[in-house]
Formats: sequence, C-alpha cells, structure tokens
Amino acid sequence: MSWFSRFLNGIRRDRLNRDLEDEIQFHLAARTEELRRAGMSPQQAKEQAGRQLGNALRLRESSTEIKLFPRFESILVDVAFGLRLCRKNKIVTAAAVVSLSLAIGACTAAFSLIDALILRPLPVNDPERLVYAVYQSPGDPEDRAAFNYPLFERMREASRSQAQLFGMSFQSRRDAVFDGSGGQPEKVYAQWISGTAFPILGVKPALGRLLIESDDLKPGRHPVAVLSYDFWSRRFGRNPGVLGRWVTIRDKQLQIVGVAEKGFTGVEPGIHTDLWVPNMMSDETSLASPGWSWFRIWGRLQPGVTADRAQAVLRTVFTNFRRERASGRRADEPRDSVERFIHAPFYLRSAANGPSALRQSFERPMWVLGIIAVLVLLIACSNVASLLIARAAARDREMALRLSIGAGRGRLVQQMLIESALLSIASCLLGVLLASQAGPLITDMLSTSYRTVRLDLRLDWRVLSFLTAAGSLTAFLFGLAPALRASVVSPNDALKSGGGKQTARIGLFRPLVAAQTAFSFLVLFVAGLFLASFAKLGRTDLGFDRNNLVVIELEAKDLRQGGQNAFAVWHQLLDRLKESPGVQSASLSGWGLFGGSASTQNLRIPGRPVDAYEHHYLPISPRFLETMRIRLAGGTDFEWRDGQEKSPSVVIVNESFARRNFPGESPLGKRFFRVGRGGTLIAQDIVGIAGDAKYDSVRDATPPTVYALLQPESGASLQVRTQLEPAALAALLQKELPRVHPAFRMTGVTLQSTLVDDTLVRERLLALLSGFFSIVAIVLVAVGLYGVLSYGVVQRTREIGIRVALGAQPLRVVRLVLSEIGLVTLIGLVLGLGGGVAASQFITALLYDVKPSDIWSIAAPLACLLFACSLAALLPALRAARVDPTTALRHE
Amino acid sequence: MARQEAFQGSLPLLVLKILARRGPLHGYGITVRIQEVSEDVLRVEEGSLYPALHRMEESGWIKAKWLTTENKHRARVYEITADGRRRLDAEEKRWLAVNAAVVRALKHA
Repeated sequence: MSWFSRFLNGIRRDRLNRDLEDEIQFHLAARTEELRRAGMSPQQAKEQAGRQLGNALRLRESSTEIKLFPRFESILVDVAFGLRLCRKNKIVTAAAVVSLSLAIGACTAAFSLIDALILRPLPVNDPERLVYAVYQSPGDPEDRAAFNYPLFERMREASRSQAQLFGMSFQSRRDAVFDGSGGQPEKVYAQWISGTAFPILGVKPALGRLLIESDDLKPGRHPVAVLSYDFWSRRFGRNPGVLGRWVTIRDKQLQIVGVAEKGFTGVEPGIHTDLWVPNMMSDETSLASPGWSWFRIWGRLQPGVTADRAQAVLRTVFTNFRRERASGRRADEPRDSVERFIHAPFYLRSAANGPSALRQSFERPMWVLGIIAVLVLLIACSNVASLLIARAAARDREMALRLSIGAGRGRLVQQMLIESALLSIASCLLGVLLASQAGPLITDMLSTSYRTVRLDLRLDWRVLSFLTAAGSLTAFLFGLAPALRASVVSPNDALKSGGGKQTARIGLFRPLVAAQTAFSFLVLFVAGLFLASFAKLGRTDLGFDRNNLVVIELEAKDLRQGGQNAFAVWHQLLDRLKESPGVQSASLSGWGLFGGSASTQNLRIPGRPVDAYEHHYLPISPRFLETMRIRLAGGTDFEWRDGQEKSPSVVIVNESFARRNFPGESPLGKRFFRVGRGGTLIAQDIVGIAGDAKYDSVRDATPPTVYALLQPESGASLQVRTQLEPAALAALLQKELPRVHPAFRMTGVTLQSTLVDDTLVRERLLALLSGFFSIVAIVLVAVGLYGVLSYGVVQRTREIGIRVALGAQPLRVVRLVLSEIGLVTLIGLVLGLGGGVAASQFITALLYDVKPSDIWSIAAPLACLLFACSLAALLPALRAARVDPTTALRHE
Repeated sequence: MARQEAFQGSLPLLVLKILARRGPLHGYGITVRIQEVSEDVLRVEEGSLYPALHRMEESGWIKAKWLTTENKHRARVYEITADGRRRLDAEEKRWLAVNAAVVRALKHA
C-alpha cells in the first residue's frame, strides 16, 4: 500500500484532500440525518447514505484530477515515482539510458549533418525562387555547372523577362595578402560574383556596403571586395576599421568596402566563403574566352514565371551558342559527336538549398548512415522495451493492487508511459551532448588537404524538433509494450498468493528479438560491404608507390625577368635537390597525380577512326617515372636535352593507351596527333611506354594516358622521394629555393599518400561510421538477448526444476530454454537478409569490387551475429542447466 | 462510468438551472433538488455530482465558498457566476431545440 500513501502525500495535496473529504463528509452526514428522520436506524441510515454516494475512492481520484491542475499533478506524482524507481534499478536505468543516448545522439548528429548539407534552405530571400543552370556531357549523367562568361552574358540578355541571372564562381582557396600583414599570404575562400548577386539574393550588409551592379561593369575597373561576417570576426575581431583596407588576391589590389550580414556564409553548403570580389576583377581572358568555364549561373525567376519556361528560353540560347562554337571544330570530327555536343541536355535546377559539390558526392552516404543510425535506434528501442517488460513483470502485484483499490487503468498506462518518457528525456539530453561532439568530428572527416569543409551545425529549432520527435517516438515505441501489459493486468490473478499464473511469458519478447536480429543483421551486412570496399581500395595497386613521397606545389612568377631560360632554372632546382641529404630523387609535373587536377585531349591516330574520346594528359619532367616508381615498360624516359627544342614532340604513353590505340603492335616510334587550339594538329612521337598508373581515382580503371614533356614556366608540382617528414623537407626547400632563384615560392606541401587518401574520404567515412554502428548494434543485440534469456530462465525456474526432478538431462533443459528464442532469431536473420538484399540496390554505387551477393558478404555478418548471440546465450543456458530441483521447488 | 454517461451531459445544465433559481446551495442541497424536480427519474450515484461540480467550478460557471453551519459542520456552498448564467442561457436554448427536434421526429417519423 505504500505507493498509495506516497500518492496521497503528493505536493500541496493535503488541503485539497481535506476539503474534498469535508465536502463528502458533509454530504454523508446530511443524507444520514434525513434517512434517520425518515425512520431508519442510525446504522442503516449511514450505510444507505454511503451506498447512495457511490465509490468514494473513485470520486476522490476523479475530483482531484479536475482540481486546479487537471492531470498535471498526477503527472508530477508519477514523475517523482518514476525517478525513484530509476534510482532503485540503477543498472537497468544505466543500460537503457546509455544505449538510447548513443542511438539518439547518432541519429541527431546524422540529422544535423543531413540538414546542413542537404535540407536546409539558403539564408536568403525567398530561396524557393532561386535556380541554377546545369548541362550534361555526352555519356555522363552527372550535372556540370561550370559556364563561360560570353555565354552567360548572352543568356542574361535573352532571359531578362523570365529571370534575373547572375554568376558566382566556384569558391576557391586563394592566397590573399592583407595590407599591414607584412606581405604574408593567408589562405582565404574567395568567390567572384556578379554585382547583382547580393541585391538579387537579398543579402544585407553588416558593415559598409555590399557589391552592387555598378561594381561589375568594366573588366579590371572595380577594385573592391566584401568580407563575410564569419571571416571578419575570425580574422579582424569584428574591427570596423577594416573598411578601406586593401587586400591583394591573384595580383589584384582590392579595397574592402563592406561586411555581409551575420549568418550568410555563402551559397554552397560545405564551403564558407570568406571574401567576395566582382566578376569584372577576374582575369580578362576569363571574361572574354568561351573556353574558360569557371562559374555557376544563378537566377531568380521573375514573378509568375515557371522554371520550365525560363529553362526553355535559356536552353535555346545554350544550344545556339554551342552550335556557333561547333562551327570552329575540325571538319574530320564525326557528325554525331558534334550533334551531341550541340544538343547537350541543359536544365535549371532548384537552388533553394544551394548547389553543392560536396552534396553531390555525400548525399547518398549521408542518407545511408542516417538510416543505419535509425536502425541502431530501433535496436536500442527494442532492447529497452525488453528491459522494461521484464521489470514490469516484477511489478504485476503493484499494478494489481493499484487497480483493486480503484486506480483507473488509464492511470497505470500513464504511469508506465511517464517512466518511459523519463528514460527518453535523459537519453535525449545525453544524446544531444553526444551529437554536438560527433557532428564537428564527422565534418572534419569530410575535409581534405585541398578542401576545408565547414558545415553550419547549429542546434536550431529544426534539430531540436527532430530530437523531440525522435525522443517521443522512441519513448512511445519502447514504452508501449510495458504500458499495454500494465493495462491488462488482472488483479485477481496477480494478487493470488505466490504470484499464481505468470502473465509475462517469454512470448512478448519474441517480436522484439526478431526485430533486433533483423535490424542488426542489416547493419552488419551493410557495414561489412563498406568495410570490404574500403579495404580493397586500400590494397589496390596504383601503379606508383605512394609512400615516402612528398608533393610540393611551386610557383615562380617572374622567372623570365632576368632573361634567363626558365627551363634551365627548373632543371637546376632538381639538380640541387638531388644532392640534398635524405632526398632519393626528385621530379616535376604540371600537376600532381591525385591532386584534383586533370587534363584531357582529343587525338587523331593514323589508321584509326576519328572519335570524340578524350585521353588523359600529364606533362612531366625527366625522371618523373623513376621518382613515382612507375614502371618503364619499353622505350626510354625523357632526357633534359629533349626540352631544349621549342616544342618537343616526344611523349611516353601508358600500357592502357597502347592497348587501346595500337592493339597487337608496339607503339614505340609511332606518331599520332593532338588537336590543338583552333583545330591545328600537333605531332606526338612515342618514345617510351610506362606501366599503368592511376591518374586521379583509385576506383576508376587506369585511363589511357599520355605523358608529355613538361615545359615548366610559372608553376609546377614537385615530387620528392625521401625519408624526410614533409615539414623537414619544406624547411630544406625554404633554404634552397632562394639560392636557385628568388622567384620561387612554395604554395603547398603534402604527402602523396594523403592526396590518395583524400580521394577516398567518402569510402573511409562510410567504413568507419558503419563499422562503429555495427559494433554498437552487436553489443546491443547481445545484451538484449542475454536479458531476455536470463529473464526466461528465472521465470521458468520452477518448471525446469520439475523437469529435472522427473529426469530431464541438462542438455534437454538448455535446448528448452534456447528453443524459445532460436526460431525467432532465425526468422529475424531471414528478415534481415531480405532487407539487406533490398538495401544493396541502393548502395551498390558506393561499393568497390564487392558484391552484396558474394557468399562472404552474407557469411561474415552472419558469423559475427551468431557468435555474439551464442556468447549472450551461454550464461543463461548454463544457469538453466545448473538448476537444482530441490531448491527450485522449495522456492515456492 | 458507463452508467452515468447518459446523465452526464445534462447534469451541468440542471445544476446551473437550480443554482440560478434557488441561489447558493451546497452539494447535498443540489442533490436533493435534482431528485425532487426530476421526480426520481434521473437517479444516479450521488457521488458523481461532485466531480461535475468541480469541473464546472474549474470552467468558471459556478464559484464556491466555505460556510460553517449551526452544528459546526463545514459546508461548501456553490453559487452561479455571470459566465454560468450565459452558459445556462445558451445550453437551455440548445437543449430545448434538440428536444423539440427529437419530439418532432418521434411524431412524424
């Protein structure tokens, strides 16, 4: 009965209860008095009055519920009671809260990432009306969004009544020198934009002014720049004195005229822009040449104009422009490839949440990880549900008692749901803490040496409402079963001495165990695929040795000023390096392999039909192959004297190139042509054959590649094979470079292995996180199964005792205990496998050299799961086998 | 609960009417009044009156105060409020309209 007195002693209840009691007493007294006057005996009158009043207890309960705080007080009481219960069952509470908070935290982190990268609309005026233009190249369904300036100008004029178009360059990390910083360059994310961009987007200044239309009229005549609020805070501590200062970017001096409003970090999720510059301040060639595609075309649809209409108008301009361009092509090009070029698909896409390169590669992985997190949450839910059912079974008598003295069933259900809510709230709080740590950690994992990813992972109302929804849904999910149980407790059965018939058979757990097994198999299956893919990618032969190789980006702007031969200066640099201690070999290339750059060329090969295929090109210095450890399969390497001619024609091709273009014969000594500017043909003579080496992707097959002789001028990528750390090598270069030539500057130092790893960010993220989740899932399943089986053994101790007394062998007893769960586990596995097959369609694109239908893809997670389950079943099985009939039966 | 449900709907209306006619009354007095005027047709567990009274009090249709009777009993006396009178008016009209409609329907159906 103790709960009832507690119940009545609730907060500020005393007066209320006394009043109610007085009122009832008054009624009873008055009625008794009347009945007595009508001729009843005092005793009879009293009893009759009581009968007429009805169930005084229920009356009390419903009246107090109405009083002052309807329902609220009963909730307070239940909360207090629930908290006390949680404190009493520390282990159960801790297990529940830890597993739930882990899962809720993972889900919240996943949601905040997905929200920041994919869902959240841009913080500008009416983002729904914003569009950006894309086209597709023949044979490639991927959207391309880079356009050239002449085309943009024509589109802008043609579509004035459909949309206000503006251009925004791709954000790029640039060296910027601010006045007063002693000429020290710093990396900033700069973006070149139309003067109309800010007004059309509706961004306001926090300080000074933003760029306007008149800032973007004549090439090179508008030396102004605007900072982002974020950068202004970070770099200048929000000093308003920043206005009027000068910054030098790409040899252009720009004056800072303003700071954009707080919260506007640019228009591309994943990259925060630091500084905006008018388009007119970019290179003059980039504004005049149709060959330079360097920015996105944006537009705000005019009122009443649909995106389809604007798209139709712009597509005509796009196609006409391409037709004109195609007329300058070589006449020998196949007609259909020219047609495909002209009629490349052109679309307007919604820019409501901002176009994002990062999203293009991470949208699917993020959803996959989000779904895995949800599965883990479901596993945790069913786990906690089992825990609560087991605990609720122990409380049958309490429930029955409350029912029999007049508590409504609704109250009992409320009590159970409130206990679930308490667990859920605690888990949500912990989970948010976890998510706030995990979010930035994952964002860091997305960053590479050449791309700093910054996502706005604030705890805004969107994340909080997600958390609330997830929290209440989970509370409902895991609280429902125990609550339903509470509502069907039969006071008669439960209160019979000795517990009588046990109402909580293991049957209630069956669906939970099946669900857990299914979900965890699914998680393990998917994680296994990602882990195997990542492992295989890591073991893939690249064709070069990525270890002990440092890649340095060099710039040498004014090399020619002294009238020196640039080629000789670069040669001298390599010679000096070669003699430095710790350096095994060094070479140059136009850009580094896996550095994110690539160049392709259309070729004419005598004796082969003309096609539109683009071959990969890489300009290299002599000894590049040696430094990279790319095998020389035939012919010779370049020599430095090759470079003394004006335009050397020598090239080295790789084996894929040889197979594609000279099947069955040696390409050595053969000549082919590259299509140069204006359609001229440039002869290329094959002097060497290199072994296949990957160019910029581990995943893709090695492309047919031509290594041309590098003619270094103002910049190149330097490879150094060395045992030195990058920092030590950088220090060495810092010393050596000025000795060779004062114009040399280092703009970047990385390990070749880092560059390769940077192309596997997506795969690493998937492997790491899904691996982590699968560990969580398997632990949860094992703990859950252990709990259910132990509970089953405890419940059936008496039955087992009888069986043993009647001569059952321990093995039979174990089988009895396990068989209850074994079949369900099996069903769960089959369901999980079905889910896995369905899911594998969605993730094939993310896999590498692994098939979901492989026997190992299924066997490995199965083995892991079975192992964990057997481990979990071992203890309860042993306990069942050791049941001693005499103690078990005496127990009753 | 089921037993009282039919009655529950009209109970507030009756209480309001009685309080409006007779002035302040305690719970027992209201019970007696209801039984008198309905000639025992509306018989009910007397206890269910109190939750109804408390609910009406929460809604602001009636207000209550404690009085001490001659024989030193604390009695809680209920009184109709202005809100309650408006409510009574509306409820009464609605009830009569519904009633008339039902009667009509019974006649002509």
